[in-house]
Amino acid sequence: MSENKENIIPVVDQIVGKQGTSVEAVIPILQAIQEEFHYLPDEALERVCAITDISPSRITGISTFYGQFRHQPAGKHSIKICTGTACHVKGAPQVYDAFRRELKLEGLKDTDSQGLFTIEKVACLGCCTIAPVIRIDSVTYGQVMPEKAGEILQDFLLSKATHQEDKQPIESIGPNGQGEIRIGLGSCCVASGSSEVKSALEKTLADAHIHVEVKQVGCVGICHQVPVLEVVKPGEPAAYYAKIKPEEVKNVVLNHFRPEGFFNRMKVDVIGLFEKILNDGSPLSVRRYQAEERDTPVAEFLDPQLNIATENRGVVRPTDLDEYKRSGGFEALSRCLKEFSQQQVIDMISASGLRGRGGAGFPTGKKWQLVKEQEASSKVVICNGDEGDPGAFMDRMILESYPFRVIEGMIIAGFATGADDGIFYIRAEYPLAVSRVNEALNKCREEGLLGDNIMGSGCTFHIRIFEGAGAFVCGEETALIASVEGNRGLPRIRPPYPARSGLNGKPTLVNNTETFAFISWIIRHGADAFARIGINGSRGTKVFALAGKVNRGGLIEVPMGMSIKRIVEEIGGGIAGGKSFKAVQIGGPSGGCIPASLADLTVDFEGLMEVGSMMGSGGMVVLDEDDCMVDIAYYFLSFTQSQSCGRCTFCRIGTRRMLELLEKIRSGKGVPEDLKNLEHLAASTKQGSLCGLGKTAPNPVISTLVYFREEYEAHLQGKCPAGKCIPLISYSVNDDCIGCTKCAQRCPSDAIEYKPFEKHFIDQEKCIKCDICRQVCPEDAILIT
Amino acid sequence: MQITIDHITIDAEEGMTVMQVAELAGIRIPSMCYLPGHTNHPSCMVCMVKDLDKGTMFPSCAMPAAEGMNLSTSSEEVKEARKEALELLLSDHVGDCEAPCRLSCPAFMNIPLMNRLIAEDRVEEALHVVREEIALPLVLGYICPAPCENACRRKKVDEAVSICLLKRYTAMDETIRKTGLEMPPQKSGKRVAVIGTGPAGLAAAFYTLRKGHACIIFDKQKEAGGALRYSVPDDLLPKEMLNADIEIIMALGGEFKLNYMVTSEIWEKEILPGFDAVILATGFRDENPLDGFGLPMLETGSVIHKKSFNSGIPGVFGCGSIISEQLLSVRSVAQGKKAALEADSFINGNTYLRRKPMFNSAFGQLNEAEKREYMQEASPVNRTDAEKGYLTGFTREEAIREAQRCMHCDCRKPVSCKLRIYSDEYGANRRRFAASERNQLTRNLQHEIVVYEPEKCIRCGLCVEITQKEGESLGLAFVGRGFDVRIGVPFSKSMQDGLIKTAQACVEGCPTGALANR
Repeated sequence: MSENKENIIPVVDQIVGKQGTSVEAVIPILQAIQEEFHYLPDEALERVCAITDISPSRITGISTFYGQFRHQPAGKHSIKICTGTACHVKGAPQVYDAFRRELKLEGLKDTDSQGLFTIEKVACLGCCTIAPVIRIDSVTYGQVMPEKAGEILQDFLLSKATHQEDKQPIESIGPNGQGEIRIGLGSCCVASGSSEVKSALEKTLADAHIHVEVKQVGCVGICHQVPVLEVVKPGEPAAYYAKIKPEEVKNVVLNHFRPEGFFNRMKVDVIGLFEKILNDGSPLSVRRYQAEERDTPVAEFLDPQLNIATENRGVVRPTDLDEYKRSGGFEALSRCLKEFSQQQVIDMISASGLRGRGGAGFPTGKKWQLVKEQEASSKVVICNGDEGDPGAFMDRMILESYPFRVIEGMIIAGFATGADDGIFYIRAEYPLAVSRVNEALNKCREEGLLGDNIMGSGCTFHIRIFEGAGAFVCGEETALIASVEGNRGLPRIRPPYPARSGLNGKPTLVNNTETFAFISWIIRHGADAFARIGINGSRGTKVFALAGKVNRGGLIEVPMGMSIKRIVEEIGGGIAGGKSFKAVQIGGPSGGCIPASLADLTVDFEGLMEVGSMMGSGGMVVLDEDDCMVDIAYYFLSFTQSQSCGRCTFCRIGTRRMLELLEKIRSGKGVPEDLKNLEHLAASTKQGSLCGLGKTAPNPVISTLVYFREEYEAHLQGKCPAGKCIPLISYSVNDDCIGCTKCAQRCPSDAIEYKPFEKHFIDQEKCIKCDICRQVCPEDAILIT
Repeated sequence: MQITIDHITIDAEEGMTVMQVAELAGIRIPSMCYLPGHTNHPSCMVCMVKDLDKGTMFPSCAMPAAEGMNLSTSSEEVKEARKEALELLLSDHVGDCEAPCRLSCPAFMNIPLMNRLIAEDRVEEALHVVREEIALPLVLGYICPAPCENACRRKKVDEAVSICLLKRYTAMDETIRKTGLEMPPQKSGKRVAVIGTGPAGLAAAFYTLRKGHACIIFDKQKEAGGALRYSVPDDLLPKEMLNADIEIIMALGGEFKLNYMVTSEIWEKEILPGFDAVILATGFRDENPLDGFGLPMLETGSVIHKKSFNSGIPGVFGCGSIISEQLLSVRSVAQGKKAALEADSFINGNTYLRRKPMFNSAFGQLNEAEKREYMQEASPVNRTDAEKGYLTGFTREEAIREAQRCMHCDCRKPVSCKLRIYSDEYGANRRRFAASERNQLTRNLQHEIVVYEPEKCIRCGLCVEITQKEGESLGLAFVGRGFDVRIGVPFSKSMQDGLIKTAQACVEGCPTGALANR
């Protein structure tokens, strides 16, 4: 990092030298400048314009369009507060406020007076199962409580000061011998400390001279139990250790790779304890599940699932090409190149019934066919990994864990449609996904799986990565293409569809990450195998990010047509904390809230549409009695409203006006007329917007108005039944108070007087409703009314 | 390729947009963000049409016509969608189409324009502006209670602009008064009788004459002027001033028949058969009951309709206190003009005459910061007193100094602004989606010929495209995204630097008053 302004020109010149001077290079150039200076100094931008084809108008338009870019100097460290759905329902707004208080930020300031920290809200860090989540630089903290804000900042600064973490990745230690130890290194796992676990593991193995393979595998999916360690020994059932801590690694390893007697003793102990935990929930850090035992939470979580896009979950090393090949990888591609014609491949995809997994569910085979039919000297295949929905992290997990599978799917698509140019469009918020895909691409190039004359077939296909710059709307294919071309990410009217005229006018196939992940399986197992799974017009499986108020959240892949009830109760293990199931929000900001009364509904494209929701990209956030549906509608709409590109009048202004109406209702100032206006605006915004964002933005509002109208009406009467809407609630202390003073000590606004052994009181004038007192009270003596 | 629009089947060429095809068939579709030859559309959504087969709506300016399309451009549903788009745009728009002073003037005189012309010492043109609405500038320059000055935004800063005296000033010079007369291009050969010479009658005569009709003005009194002559004391309105205004009507060809009582017999035998139209400006019916004139009584208790100025007899109109008691001469003068226009329309075979005021986007009070924005264009001096006394009025210097105090509250594109035109056409209600708090108004005066008012911008981006197409080195850019997107100059530079060669093109391309000439 260089903050010296004199450096700007040489640094910019160097960046431009690397990225090129064309208009298309604008986003990568800006990303590189920001990487260097932590913001975009005007001098740097002017320099870019002076030495490239990029005009001042373009660079201004782009650098202010994408959320990633800053124009003001930032603090030394960046605090990102995740405001994804799962984090929101678990208290992210209070966490955000707590950090602002801790940093003494007032008004619009986002950087503390010492210039140490800059705070920002981000759409979703994709770690929904350990919500609420924050990330400081590259360190992710999960299950953050507002009262811990100060401790977290200290911890971060301390860890920075004490050890400069060495970031060398371990791939494997030692040759195959006694078995292998698999460690999950998905983002959730890393966030909850898997890299520390990994270090402890390396040390233990080295110290004890144990030769056992350590495999760094992708996301296991059991994200509610991270970090996860799996021990596989020949002749023994695999054992999972969940929520493992670094200091416990030694015992676990020695249990398995030491004399039998000791291991057995421990095994009995651990399993006995484990059953106890399940029943009374008392804390024990190590949780161990035997893979063969049924009736364990892990089995319940994994059994109803069917892994196609996530085939070999938790078994393969994400960037190990040989291993991918050993498990059938690139077999599909090889067969396509050698045995099938382009049309045969497309026919197979069509026959499988695969529909796009990005949300709208357009038949994949048909899309491929359209691109294939175009006569053009060059065609493009784009993998849409711009997963921006709050509450969704399927794409991230797939890219992090199965980069080769997606690459293979893309190459097959390239072959079938006659494309030569492939692009991975990946959110910049997913650095791990970017680096894994990059590594995987390099390996493919080395092995001749990418480039000219793939596998000696004469077929040419290149793939590059384009990092998105923080605009949810770029998930829309025409906006995505605009951003790759170096424009503001504005969707355009269709037709022409990208299949006819896409990137730089070339026929372009845009498919979702998950869609590509199905391709090789379909080719290997045949279209029928895929088509046999699922119901009606929805075939195969779908990956969901299950989060929110369930006992077991995580990444799940289930056959299309599974009922909501089964997903929530069997896989998710029901609602946490004995609360009652209220609704499930499917499809993120484009979807809708489905009430518990419709839980028998099957999850498929048409079924969801009928009840006013949609598949979306597959976020599934479970809500319980403590969640206010007006608040949820406000939450989603505030997201889409902030993500509108600003082009269509109805989306730009209509969503804003709807949000203002919701705000009015949420603060108890609404009148019955407001509900009518809200419904009206929702309908016209759907009708009058060009792209999917505007057309679906009103869905959360419409569906909550349909299924939870009484909650809206209660707000009109000044009541929030769930006790969530800040202006309508107040905190008080009940008679269970034992006078422990914890609340008084923690209250950030001195609203509670310190009175040992006496019942405490909350001064309503001073109370800022930060919820900390309720969280720290050991007696549940804080009431919300 | 054939497509059907509003049940008309039209041959279209490949590559045409729906809007272009509609144009071929003479179907006009409104649009704000579309400018032929430019690509940056659609955004405003005012050009929406409905696809009757698919049941969806889309912006016609960008949708390629496709074989077999069956579209509606004029159903109630389409109109409602367009109206809503306009209403949403209006909810985000801050600015007056017309200045508050003009809106509060019963005669709707274009006060800010008059002020600006006086400030530039263009008195003759200023008088022309005054006479567009006010037939008796001198009379009203003395006796008008000036409701405009009460509404003047400058009043909240220090004191109102002295509008009434400025108006009088435009007509004080006899040479200007007479040379500045706009004579009708040619005589119509039609005759109109005006009965009564009070403020309403004189105004009716003035505008009748300007329409090219012969006009005979009857009054039972010896001298013209009605209440102005016989009820207003000299120290309020010097008689020579009244005479001067009447002289103008005579100069236009008005023929006064004074000392002439129009009896019911004369009415029957001479007036009704002898004229193409009649305008009654006879004052209170208590004093001049018009018995035997055969005028049917309307539901309102009057013989003249107060909005259309018609009576129950075709071709007979009325204005002033005959309708109901008028306390303000300026209102009578305003009615005189309207009655004259109604008579003119009748004479020409009831040509369309707009009676409703044009759509107007009034936004209310200025806050302190906004007052400063407005004051950028106004002289900060205190309100000017006429040194030689009220009866004499302003000297040239005083008038110029005072006129420069005007803050230019009116929009610079009141006629060409498409937001106004379509809001008017579709009957948009600017308050329907109003936000609880309106945006803060700003005025960017950095450019020597362009004024940029961001709160009038609809973010269509035409200006951005124009600057880029013409190769401005800086040009304009979109700044931000979504609801907060604005148009600005890159790197926070001045508008003067941004618009070097495309300033005028941007002003012309801008569909609203956001970019306008100073």
